[in-house]
Amino acid sequence: MKHLIAGAAMALMAVTGTASADGHANYPERPIMMMVSYGAGGATDFQARIVTMTAGNEDALGMPIAILNKPGAGGRVGWNWLAGQAEADGYTLGAYNVPHFIAQSIKGGVEYSADSFEPIANWGADPAVFVVGKDSEFNSMDDVVNFAKENPGKLTFSGAGLFVGHHIAALQLEKASGAQLAYIPNNKGGAGAMKAVIAGEVMGGVNNLSDAFRAEQAGNVKILGVFDLERNDFLPDVPTLKEQGYDIDNASVNFRGVMVPKGTPQGIIDKLAATVPEMFKNGRVAGKMKAGGSPMHIMTRDEVLEMWAAREVTLKELLAGL
Amino acid sequence: MNRSQHIIPSGIVAAVGLWVAYISFTQQPSEAFLFPRLIATIFVVLALWTFAKALLGRSRTGAGLSWEIIRNMAPGLLVALIYVFWAAKGLGFYTATTIAFFILLCLYDPAPHNVLKSWGKRLLITVCFMAVMYGLFAKLLKVYTPREIFF
Amino acid sequence: MEFIYYFGDVFTPISFGLLLLGTIGGLILGATPGLSPTMAVALLIPFTFQLEAAQGLILLGAAYTSTVAGGAVSAILLKIPGAPANIATTLDGHTMAKKGQGARALQLSFLASAVGGVFGVLLLIFLTPVLAKWALAFGPSHLFWLAILGVTIIGSLDGSSVVKGLLSGCIGLWLSTIGFDDIMGAQRFIFHPSLGGGINIIAALIGLFAIPQVLSMFAKGRKDTTSELISVEKHSIMDALREVVSSVRALSIGTITGSIIGLIPGVGGQIAGLVAYDQSKKFSSEREKFGTGHPEGIIAAESANNAMVGPSLVPLLTLSIPGSPTAAVLLGGLLIHGIFPGSDLFDNHPQVAWTFINSMLIGQVLMCIFGLYVAGLAARVATVPQYVMAAIVLGLAVFGSYSVQSSMGDVYVMLSLGVMMYFLERFGFSAAPLVLGLILGPIAEANFIQGSMIANATSGLGPYFLTGTLNLFLIAIVIASIIYSVWMELRSRRYTAKEDLI
Repeated sequence: MKHLIAGAAMALMAVTGTASADGHANYPERPIMMMVSYGAGGATDFQARIVTMTAGNEDALGMPIAILNKPGAGGRVGWNWLAGQAEADGYTLGAYNVPHFIAQSIKGGVEYSADSFEPIANWGADPAVFVVGKDSEFNSMDDVVNFAKENPGKLTFSGAGLFVGHHIAALQLEKASGAQLAYIPNNKGGAGAMKAVIAGEVMGGVNNLSDAFRAEQAGNVKILGVFDLERNDFLPDVPTLKEQGYDIDNASVNFRGVMVPKGTPQGIIDKLAATVPEMFKNGRVAGKMKAGGSPMHIMTRDEVLEMWAAREVTLKELLAGL
Repeated sequence: MNRSQHIIPSGIVAAVGLWVAYISFTQQPSEAFLFPRLIATIFVVLALWTFAKALLGRSRTGAGLSWEIIRNMAPGLLVALIYVFWAAKGLGFYTATTIAFFILLCLYDPAPHNVLKSWGKRLLITVCFMAVMYGLFAKLLKVYTPREIFF
Repeated sequence: MEFIYYFGDVFTPISFGLLLLGTIGGLILGATPGLSPTMAVALLIPFTFQLEAAQGLILLGAAYTSTVAGGAVSAILLKIPGAPANIATTLDGHTMAKKGQGARALQLSFLASAVGGVFGVLLLIFLTPVLAKWALAFGPSHLFWLAILGVTIIGSLDGSSVVKGLLSGCIGLWLSTIGFDDIMGAQRFIFHPSLGGGINIIAALIGLFAIPQVLSMFAKGRKDTTSELISVEKHSIMDALREVVSSVRALSIGTITGSIIGLIPGVGGQIAGLVAYDQSKKFSSEREKFGTGHPEGIIAAESANNAMVGPSLVPLLTLSIPGSPTAAVLLGGLLIHGIFPGSDLFDNHPQVAWTFINSMLIGQVLMCIFGLYVAGLAARVATVPQYVMAAIVLGLAVFGSYSVQSSMGDVYVMLSLGVMMYFLERFGFSAAPLVLGLILGPIAEANFIQGSMIANATSGLGPYFLTGTLNLFLIAIVIASIIYSVWMELRSRRYTAKEDLI
């Protein structure tokens, strides 16, 4: 018995010894900040607040996560800040949106690339969908594409900005259908783009599945297609673009997750990568996300690293001609 | 006095206007600079008009500056600049604010410096103010300000 | 009349307690420099996780109404507008407080807020379906003309020189283009890393209004100011009530302008107060009194601010489109409880929807009562000696601008703009037009670019921007506004020495 206790004590010392060797045994010691590069109330902000609400629990990080909004220019402002000005001490996290930041870094004019950040975990995947107003004459993607072929460049449709998921979906549609379209980026994000569709300022729009689902429930829009590999649980009746005969994959699906700036100590990254996906799996989080119409998709650090690399290749190819 | 005083600020504004116009019309992509070009054009016209009027001595609005104002303001402005541009980050918000606040009180409090009581009063006001700020921002609003040395 | 049926739900002990908490908390948060209503509501969202849907919304609704009114407190007493909505309130409110009439200014502002606010919420209750169509009627071309209309009031807003007013407006418009361009993502005028995110409007407001005031207090030097100390006049609530009732014109202009502008998604809240202030100045027979502590100025600005609260929620509640940043945060509060706003919200969740609206109605009244109660006490801020006040305002400005988005860059921008503004003000430039330019710049630009993209794909630029009833109507108002300013300018020039103007 005595030996056992001594052994346990030794083991314990060894564990704490190695952990404190790189000085992160007690991490986190104070509240953590998570930067969201979109405004308060947007889809990313809303989901970030839900998935981090249990961070203060003892079985999660034991310290709350506060959300800090740095909106502007489709996310460029926030990610520039995270890559260039944020302190890489583990107390500054950031929310990522793929393909947005990867597409922007390929296009250039920003101070970050996929190598500037270290992913921690993914919490959600929000596919882009094609919406039209409820009174629109279009009832399928074929109607839309046929109109665009008869009137080249006259089919106006809105999206959340340039080099964000919606724009990628628009480019894919243009490429797969061979029609010439007029993509109108909105400066007020997905909500502004949706307003343009409902008010009839544009003929259609690419928008987030979660927002479009709500607008459809309210009876304001029709959803014609999902830009994903398979149909979504929220919209089992809406066919994918692929089913409708357009060769479009899931490159535009908006993956949301947590990352830290490069240079954050490896010990902290490991600890976060182990804890954060478990935190997302909390039942209360899942319940609130489902209630808000936001599809969840939890991925670990390794899976995200793989996804980032794959996206970078696809996007480089897609954006090469621009 | 008044005329030369107006020339300096309106001259600076005009120079800024010309610089804005130069940048707007030379930078690319031109779509992104469409709006700045529009503004810069109006900006330059108005700024040159104001500058011309200042040169002719026909600018009458505004109270202008006097040596007394500058002399009075200089120490406070200097403290404010050091406080914001260096101390707030270098020493931490609460430390820097405490020091800056106390210095400002000493600089501008008319109570005599040779009486112990007036020093005590200044110290008391500083402590009360910092307590309120700490309660409001750190405790109630949970803003995490840079804190280098102390809290 | 359905809403009356749900009034009982607001008066259960827990709900009413939350309503009180939201109102008082909202007033404190609103009066804190740097905390806009949007941020205040976002801060309260986590508390609603634990509550039922209806209760959570009571808290948020009460907080929203009272933060907007609370912003007037710091605008009047400290000359720090809590949010863009309160800029117009500083113009007359702070002048009044400096004369020792802070209590009167606060009472007027709370009473006018309550009148405007209740009217706005009643509009929301009775006219929502009609208003929803109106909110959607504003497309990019109309918003562009609306921003231009805002630009035309720049010159007449403040200060004695029209040209310097316009020039200040141009400086503001230019400052608004700093940072990344919102649509193309190009970098513009970023000559210091702090400007990477553009100029934050709240930080800019704090700097432009508070810092010049701190510096002018420094400029008085180390001298005994006790002789200058004003005695704070007591002011009875009944007198204030009589004053508000007798300024029918300012009150109705404020309320109507606020309600109409509040409806328009993306523009409303920020300029409602300024537009109402400018309009009631133009229609007033005592035009020259504005800016010198005139009660009508406060009444128009504050009634407009709160009148916009109700209508600004119309697009959210009927179409599920948040029309303002605060509405977007409230949308989050609804979604967390699984409630999707939309045209059938009042059928599916009448209890939640009506309780929320009722709480805003009662919140307006509570806010007014509570505000009137503390007005006399709060007005004593004016008796704080100037040397202490200067240091307090500087400290608040630094903490306030930092807390907007935890950014040191915002603090640097705040102080730089403030010091610049002090010297410009000494030479006849003024802060209000500059701020208006800063607010209107992005609205004008983004809508022009979006409009021209749609126009190029469809009917062409000319027909898109220059045809249609609403476009023509707005253009007519723009022209009328310009003609009016020029006419007033010429008329007043006839009476005063020529060189003093322009």
